[in-house]
Amino acid sequence: MKCLQTFILCVLATSLFAQAQPNELTFTPHWLPQAQFAGYYVAQEKGFYADEGIVVNIQHPSASVNAFQLLADKSADVISLFMVTALQARSDSFKIVNIAQLSQHSALMFVSHKKNGIEKLNQLDGKRIGIWKSGFDEVPKALIQSNNYEVEWVPILSSINMFMIGGIDAMTVMWYNEYDQIINAGINPDELNIFNFADYGCDVPEDGLYCLESTYLQRKPELEKFVEATMLGWKYAKNNPDEALDIVLAEMKKAHIATNLTHQKWMLQCMLELIEPGTKNVKKGELAETDFHKTRNMLKESNHINGNISFDSFYKPVLK
Amino acid sequence: MEIISKKSLASRIVFYVAAFCVLLFLISLSVFYFFSKKSIEEKTIENALEITQNTVLKTEQVLISSEKILNNYRWLIEKNIAYADSMEAYTRRILQMNPEIIGCAIAFKPDFFPEKGYYFSPFTYRNKDLLVSTQLGNEEYDYFVMDWYQIPATLEKPYWSEPYYDTGGGNALMTTYSMPFYSSNNGDKELAGIITIDLSLEWFTDIVSSVKILETGYASVISRNGTFVTHPNTDIIMNQTIFSFAAEMQSPGLRQIGRNMQAGKTGFEDVVVNGRDLIVSYKPLLTSNWTLAVVFSRDEMYAPLRQISLVLIFIIVIGMALMVFIVKKIVEQQIAPLKCFARSSIEIAEGNFNTELPDIKTEDEMKELHNAFVHMQTDLKKYIKNLKETTSAKEKIESELRIAREIQMGMIPKIFPPFPDTPEIDLYAMLEPAKEVGGDLYDFFMIDDTHLCYAIGDVSGKGVPASLFMAVTRTLLRSVAPKQRSTSEIVNNLNNSLAIGNESSMFVTFFIGIINLKTGEMNYTNAGHNPPIIIHADNKSEFFEITQDIPIGLFENYDYTEKTRVLSENDRLFLYTDGITEAENWDEELYSDERLIKCIRAINSLDPTEIVMKVARDVVVHVNDCQQSDDLTMMSIIYKGSKK
Repeated sequence: MKCLQTFILCVLATSLFAQAQPNELTFTPHWLPQAQFAGYYVAQEKGFYADEGIVVNIQHPSASVNAFQLLADKSADVISLFMVTALQARSDSFKIVNIAQLSQHSALMFVSHKKNGIEKLNQLDGKRIGIWKSGFDEVPKALIQSNNYEVEWVPILSSINMFMIGGIDAMTVMWYNEYDQIINAGINPDELNIFNFADYGCDVPEDGLYCLESTYLQRKPELEKFVEATMLGWKYAKNNPDEALDIVLAEMKKAHIATNLTHQKWMLQCMLELIEPGTKNVKKGELAETDFHKTRNMLKESNHINGNISFDSFYKPVLK
Repeated sequence: MEIISKKSLASRIVFYVAAFCVLLFLISLSVFYFFSKKSIEEKTIENALEITQNTVLKTEQVLISSEKILNNYRWLIEKNIAYADSMEAYTRRILQMNPEIIGCAIAFKPDFFPEKGYYFSPFTYRNKDLLVSTQLGNEEYDYFVMDWYQIPATLEKPYWSEPYYDTGGGNALMTTYSMPFYSSNNGDKELAGIITIDLSLEWFTDIVSSVKILETGYASVISRNGTFVTHPNTDIIMNQTIFSFAAEMQSPGLRQIGRNMQAGKTGFEDVVVNGRDLIVSYKPLLTSNWTLAVVFSRDEMYAPLRQISLVLIFIIVIGMALMVFIVKKIVEQQIAPLKCFARSSIEIAEGNFNTELPDIKTEDEMKELHNAFVHMQTDLKKYIKNLKETTSAKEKIESELRIAREIQMGMIPKIFPPFPDTPEIDLYAMLEPAKEVGGDLYDFFMIDDTHLCYAIGDVSGKGVPASLFMAVTRTLLRSVAPKQRSTSEIVNNLNNSLAIGNESSMFVTFFIGIINLKTGEMNYTNAGHNPPIIIHADNKSEFFEITQDIPIGLFENYDYTEKTRVLSENDRLFLYTDGITEAENWDEELYSDERLIKCIRAINSLDPTEIVMKVARDVVVHVNDCQQSDDLTMMSIIYKGSKK
């Protein structure tokens, strides 16, 4: 019933505010529905956005059209993006700004079957490594490039099947996602070698909220409300993980995405850990300047970006 | 047991019979349960294995035929690989000839036909009854990174894709079989692309879903990565892998089974899932590396057995209750005469020997008991009759004996002090016969004013004969003594009188003395009697000399000797029969002369009554309630001296 209400509300909102009403925002996560975005679904479901007086449409990217493209064609007002992707866009003179930094740490890692004998990072040299075709490849490539390894990048759409069947030597995975999928496909953790990017100087922040600079300038109050309610959504998810998981699973079912409680539970736990700043000298939702510089420099060194991007021009926090 | 022992005989019999039956039933039921369980287990396992095998065969048939189709067409495609435009016709032909196939693509590697562009992949699919052909591949649908292309192209091996939902056609569960095909470039074989056929898994689901085993047992297919392709719970299909499900159910055993499946193993294992004990039979589908699993509950396997057992227990309980009731009734009926016999025996005990006995018509132990009662009644009547007669006779004898005793006791003087007017002398005596009448005697009397005659005797034997002999002796003494002053003469006379016609050879030990109260001179004769004790004034005591004379009544004309002794003032005499010195205690120890003299010496009294009573008490102490076997007779005399 709640889903129906939400649906009717969305339809009404879409029809009433089709002409981009001031309090309407379209948010696009950078991937399909899953617990990685639990905070947004919870904020929507629990009415935190409505409480702030904004109407948020959550529109997911497709397997082939990513969030960035949706932002570019203005189908989305706010998107979540990896910071490296955002920096690249900014470097390409695409005027996007970071309005909040959710994930403070890198969840990226290479995994390899132990039977492949890749015990150290340098043994990836000359190997075939799976990487997402849809993006998020900047840090892995920068890490490999910084070590001057020659690898064959094998683009993969979204599944772990190539890895499972032995079509590649190693695979780029997210700790909260593909890693657990591999475990849930029958590989035991002790049968895997893991190369956590954070251990190789690449602990770069990941999921952040971005919008066009013009949107930031014109709609700052709504953005502020959006981020405020989103943070509240995450807080609620932390305190009520079971309910949050139910909301996530319902969202996934709606999108016909195969999943299960075990995996989404794992993902939610991981995300809640990644959101915590830990030893970083920032609050939740803020971008540490040192992280920005580290990431920017890494991308520069790996020639993923050109020119100078200043922290102030990139980071426009909307949270008070 | 105490409670049982207080119950009636019928209850006890029923209890023991019921206890035995319960034990027997329990053993029988346990044996039945054990063997039935084993048999059910074996048959169910056999059935499960057969189902697994058959289902695998059925599903494999379809998959194998699909593989054959592609094998056949690959040859044609490779042969005509130069004709790009004919490829679409092949895809249509495959669908026309194979209704189970719902889509077919011949996907060429990038730029294989330069004139066709980067992507070239004729694709035909069914849209209701129509075959629709189109081209796959564009920037949005970059088929080169799709599993169905990428994996077989990378591995250069055919590949059954993981099952997936067909997003374009009604959400059907699909799988794609992909096979690489090759072109020849200057004799070198090069990968040219991938040919695929899409199969709906509906038929597959139908076959697998039709499997039923026990109440809720089912079959399920698990893909290479552990994904549930079919399952009775549709929420699990494509959402869960066996591993995520194992994690959710916290069942490490299930995870291990999943890994065994991935390793292509065939197995039959027990696993606990969500608190349920399940049995999983699994076998790989060799074509696709998927696994078919038949799952059923161990509890359900034994459910019919448990039901039968419960029914049996119910029947047994009811049967036992009926048995207890009926057996109790039968036993009560059978032993009912016992109660009558009990009542009869009480009446018999109360003296009603003619009481009526229960009528027993059977010829069994109860009849024997009846006959025994009749016999007892007859014997008791006879016995009681005899008893009455005997008792009557005995009472008569006892009555006569009582009279005899009174007569006997009347013959001896019993008034003490006997001579209150004679200050020179005092005397006390007692006689306690062992039976109603005894053979002891004592006597004393004044012959004249100055002479006291006293005597004590003990007739051989006891009872009536002895008492008669004693009476004769005493009577003779009284008739003889007053005429004589010589004790030997008196004794000689007595002896001669008693010896005549003494056919029973009875005799009497006898001591007689005559004291001259003026002088204290005492002459005496001892005819075989215990020597008396003299207690002098200074309290020194001693036995008289032992006599050489024989008891009287044995030999006629025997001449008894007479001796003389002078008594001093306050000399005391103590006379007794052997009943005193031979009084026995429980250890058969005699009172003895030694104890007697010791007792006498300790008395230190001038009162003859006190002397006799103290000795009597000492004897009582010695015998300690042991039955008196002989008459007890004592006499004590004190000579107080002349009172001139």
